[in-house]
Amino acid sequence: MEGVAMKLPSFKSLAPTAISVASTFSIRRSFSFARPSSSLSATITADSEPVSLGHRARKDFRILHQEVNGSKLVYLDSAATSQKPAAVLEALQNYYEFYNSNVHRGIHYLSAKATDEFELARKKVARFINASDCREIVFTRNATEAINLVAYSWGLSNLKPGDEVILTVAEHHSCIVPWQIVSQKTGAVLKFVTLNEDEVPDIDMLREMISEKTKLVAVHHVSNVLASSLPVEEIVVWAHDVGAKVLVDACQSVPHMVVDVQKLNADFLVASSHKMCGPTGIGFLYGKSDLLLAMPPFLGGGEMISDVFLDHSTYAEPPSRFEAGTPAIGEAIALGAACDYLSDIGMPKIHEYEVELANYLYEKLSSVPDVRIYGPRPSESVRRAALCSFNVEGLHPTDLATFLDQQHGVAIRSGHHCAQPLHRYLGVNASARASLYFYNTKEDVDSFIVALADTVSFFNSFK
Amino acid sequence: MNSSSLNVLASHPLSSISRPTLKAFHSPKFSSKRIRCMHDSNINLNFGSKQNPKAPNHDFPVSFATAFVEAPLGTTTTPTSADKLHLLASEFRSLTEPIDRVKRLLSYAAALAPLDDSARVPANRVTGCTTQVWLEIKIDEFGRMRFKADSDSEISKGFCSCLIWILDGAKPEEVMGVRGEDLSEMNVGVHGKVRSRVNTWHNVLMSMQKRTRALVGDADVAHRELDRPAPHQHNILFDHVNGRSYMESSKVHRGYSISLLPLGYDFTI
Repeated sequence: MEGVAMKLPSFKSLAPTAISVASTFSIRRSFSFARPSSSLSATITADSEPVSLGHRARKDFRILHQEVNGSKLVYLDSAATSQKPAAVLEALQNYYEFYNSNVHRGIHYLSAKATDEFELARKKVARFINASDCREIVFTRNATEAINLVAYSWGLSNLKPGDEVILTVAEHHSCIVPWQIVSQKTGAVLKFVTLNEDEVPDIDMLREMISEKTKLVAVHHVSNVLASSLPVEEIVVWAHDVGAKVLVDACQSVPHMVVDVQKLNADFLVASSHKMCGPTGIGFLYGKSDLLLAMPPFLGGGEMISDVFLDHSTYAEPPSRFEAGTPAIGEAIALGAACDYLSDIGMPKIHEYEVELANYLYEKLSSVPDVRIYGPRPSESVRRAALCSFNVEGLHPTDLATFLDQQHGVAIRSGHHCAQPLHRYLGVNASARASLYFYNTKEDVDSFIVALADTVSFFNSFK
Repeated sequence: MNSSSLNVLASHPLSSISRPTLKAFHSPKFSSKRIRCMHDSNINLNFGSKQNPKAPNHDFPVSFATAFVEAPLGTTTTPTSADKLHLLASEFRSLTEPIDRVKRLLSYAAALAPLDDSARVPANRVTGCTTQVWLEIKIDEFGRMRFKADSDSEISKGFCSCLIWILDGAKPEEVMGVRGEDLSEMNVGVHGKVRSRVNTWHNVLMSMQKRTRALVGDADVAHRELDRPAPHQHNILFDHVNGRSYMESSKVHRGYSISLLPLGYDFTI
């Protein structure tokens, strides 16, 4: 690659090594841009190196180009929710503007079109995670509802007193509370895997915990606090050996890397649309066909029935059996558009870029004094997600986040990140978290670090 | 209020505990001075003698207490919480740079009276805050609400400090009468979202009001005897109140005839 000095005006701090991703990038398809006048070629001029994925992708996200509190917005909260590209917003708008109609039972043209697009979205999601059949995708309101669906539908009819459900202390509340409720009702017992000295869930402990009594292992794929990932394929093998099922909370993995449910061989997998460039209000449950077929309904109502009499009803086949009432049609279609958008870029590319960002963030953040980052150190064998939960000695994370927002326009999250048991285990009440997505750049990380240093020195001056 | 009763109040041992008193605040004779002070952005609220000894030596300019000329005995008056609230709100309003508001809050945080470790119990936690806030509340023998608070976040401590300055020593109905909207000027980093879940000071205020209501109850306070116990009995009562949890202190409170101001204490103000 030519050793061309970069002269792009706004990218003053780009290090020479920063664009290694771009050198391997091959343009397969152009992105869907908001403004038809802009095009991919405009970003690669004759005498410059190609810019990073983050720089290119930013153009599709108008929301990122604004000022907050007098500073440029630096959005580092994608683990809480991602931003949506213009293509997704257009898909949603298109639906409402041109073919909004209720799905599944209508005869007329608009209804048929809406149904087609809705079911096409289901296929897109199935393809995105390599499910073998689109009927294995159940649309829900979000991942939390998907987990509740499994808990109430599969859990209540399969768990008996003394049965064990294995979780980790690092689970999101959505993958703890439903199991607490269901275990209270059924008499099942919850067991929790703790962390090892690298601050990741102890896989050896998990393996030992799996026994004949285990009926379900419900774990995250990627942790939203620790940034670590679990070897789900191996866990599935161990669980299946004892006849247990595995539910994977893939909220932080599906948006960021290739997730192949057939390869993982998980029984259930859940994810949220809003973390993967899709709208809020929709998520999905992947469940193996034979499992879904055997499960009783979760919510009752229209759409999930076959015949309704006064004294009883018969139910539809999955996935309809678990989709009561009018679904979030526009949102599902927009989720399909998000799957298209991400696939156009290529999930392997996104993941590769994010690994680079993750390392850069970790390296820069750990160079700030008095900062304690949670989770494993990145290494050859350990890859972190592009997020860091951390604390600064003597400074409450909420004060930190408030100041970062107020004075620097940097948006991070502070609190327990829906992982109170994890924070209690780590011995803290709350932490701050900066989380990146493929539309962030190294400049975003640099701005964050500068702002962080300023914040720390401000509060130190009051001590 | 008649002047003789106010003398009683002014001379009561409790009045020696530092609470900023705005003397002659309401007196028409001094209204012009009051207006001047409201617009003086250098005014800092004096937190009396309870400054944290570890805090840096902040240069507090003219305190309210000395901003006014001492009025002759008999015309002093205690400002209401509403008055204090307006003063505080106008002080913050005068700080146009957000960072100055943060700095002011942090200096008030340093001035907050420390809270005993024994008070950091789950019952005293203010729920709904992303930071930890503990709030201790009791009724003194005059039927006024007394508050102490602490937090692990400096900004939250600053909010608590301000709220306590406004409400410590207030009558229960004054506490109940403060509206969240009145304090929106104090918002630091919470962009006008008075009802946001993360809005610490709003949650602390709600907690103060809820627990005040629980302590005072719906007992018809007007029917309490107005006999004033002998001074030594005050102290006994005060010790009881100090030594016990808030629920117990309220029971003790109801057992004594404690509404001791012979001035037709009107809870319906």
